[in-house]
Amino acid sequence: MAPISIRGLTKRYGDVRAVNNLSLEVIQGEILGFLGLNGAGKTTTIRILLDLLRPNSGNVSILGHDCQVDGLRARLNIGYLPGELGIYSDLTGREVLDLLAKLSNKAVAKAWRTELQERLEFPESDLRRPLRQYSTGMKRKLGLIQAFQSDPLLLILDEPTEGLDPLMQESFYKLLVDVKQRGRTVFMSSHVLSEVDRVCDRIALIRKGELVLLSTVEVTRKLAARHVRVLFAEDVSIAPVLPPGSEVIEAGPRSWNLKIEGPLGPMLRTIATLPVRDIEIAEAKLEDVILKYYRDGIQ
Amino acid sequence: MRSAALLLAYSLKRVRALTITTGLLLAALQLVLIFVAGSIQSSGGFDQLSALLPPFARQLLGPSAATFMSFSGIVCLGYFDLAVMIALIALAVTLATTPASEVEIGFMDLILARPLARHWIITRTIVLTALVSAALLALMVGGTWAGLQMFAPAGVPWPSARLVNSLAINVGMLTLCWGGVAMAIGAASSRRSVAGGATGLLALATYLLDYVARLWQPAEKVAWLSPFRYYNPFDLIIGNPLPIKNLVVLGAIAVAGFAAAYVLFARRDISH
Repeated sequence: MAPISIRGLTKRYGDVRAVNNLSLEVIQGEILGFLGLNGAGKTTTIRILLDLLRPNSGNVSILGHDCQVDGLRARLNIGYLPGELGIYSDLTGREVLDLLAKLSNKAVAKAWRTELQERLEFPESDLRRPLRQYSTGMKRKLGLIQAFQSDPLLLILDEPTEGLDPLMQESFYKLLVDVKQRGRTVFMSSHVLSEVDRVCDRIALIRKGELVLLSTVEVTRKLAARHVRVLFAEDVSIAPVLPPGSEVIEAGPRSWNLKIEGPLGPMLRTIATLPVRDIEIAEAKLEDVILKYYRDGIQ
Repeated sequence: MRSAALLLAYSLKRVRALTITTGLLLAALQLVLIFVAGSIQSSGGFDQLSALLPPFARQLLGPSAATFMSFSGIVCLGYFDLAVMIALIALAVTLATTPASEVEIGFMDLILARPLARHWIITRTIVLTALVSAALLALMVGGTWAGLQMFAPAGVPWPSARLVNSLAINVGMLTLCWGGVAMAIGAASSRRSVAGGATGLLALATYLLDYVARLWQPAEKVAWLSPFRYYNPFDLIIGNPLPIKNLVVLGAIAVAGFAAAYVLFARRDISH
């Protein structure tokens, strides 16, 4: 039973299709990064999963329960972090956590909540303060604690590290890894590509409401062109003639800067006869692929 | 059910200061009115006051003019004074538009991301509005009897318990009626100010309609549309019983508003 199953999902606002025929399945125990530019349809999809928005067509289910027909069961094992934590500012952090824990209909282990507080450096003294005294980062940490505190089977996180400082981001990444090791599934939207590269198993990229890429991070990274710098022991006067998929960025007598898509073998065979002194290959970056998809969308 | 009870308890906790403050102010107003009425009664000023009533006011009050210009009439003023009615209705509208406020700030996202059915949000809001309105009226009635005990001159007839209770019940139903209207509008809105403003404008328009109809005969034909038509305190003051029709109409508007709120809130998109 897939933690999240989306089939042919469409959501329209008037003539605008916020989500268009989206189909996606999240695998048990994975961290799936849900990517896209602003307005691509990420938050709309998440809100449909939570039955906050009603789709025009298609089906969405969580842990085998249809989100619209059987929404209560679907939401029984979810931890949700919204993009913005909207809570009355006169409440204390403790009151917020207690209320949301009770509404979850699941017992919250005190030891686990305490561990979450320690990992996110959120002391009891802060929990006793009203939210109006909280900084953006503190509100985000409180949001994370309320999402994780009932130790749900599925975590739906909308831009989880927005507003967190680098140290807290690090703690959050470790937390994600830990919950994943315990078999939990994470569905998170993010703008931070380095974070997706680091913590996600797969990525789903949505553009103008349509899924344009669904793949593992490893495979996606291989789609990126690698930057290769070839250094020569002596001046090379011939113009570089390279196999398809290779692009010359800069060619000097003692070095060539190349961009290679796909395997490096053909390029290496081409330069084998030249007086090569060294070859520097930069690791392919996930960002390059994602940004390419983003740019194509803009064009 | 448990979750709804939790949410109700949380909501009551949030509005307790507002409720207690408003209730105490309304109760204090009853004390002040009774003190003033007692002073006028002791100085024999009611006859002079009646003589000062302008003709349009006599037309407005009708046969109840004489009864109104009495100790008992002034004591009852606390149940139909415009400021009191505004306070009661405004608080009911504020509470009834709680879902719109929760959608607006994003709190609804967190609540409904839990296994909580949407109808409990409306049920919570109805109970909240009814409980707080009842608490305010109870404080007002308490204020009236406390004021009579403390400030009523000896020998002057008090308003009957039936009259005070009838006024309280009728104004309570009027309050609940506007709570229902506000809840229906608020259930479809993402802004409390929009829902509250729309309800306020509607209340003002219908109040004016009722007011004009009492002075201008042609407006009578459409005056039945105004909920304020179904709260006529002067009829009660002169001794008429509380018309069941008034309670039924006001109750029906409230129930229709609640029903509309259930349907609208169940079907809407929650977005802010």
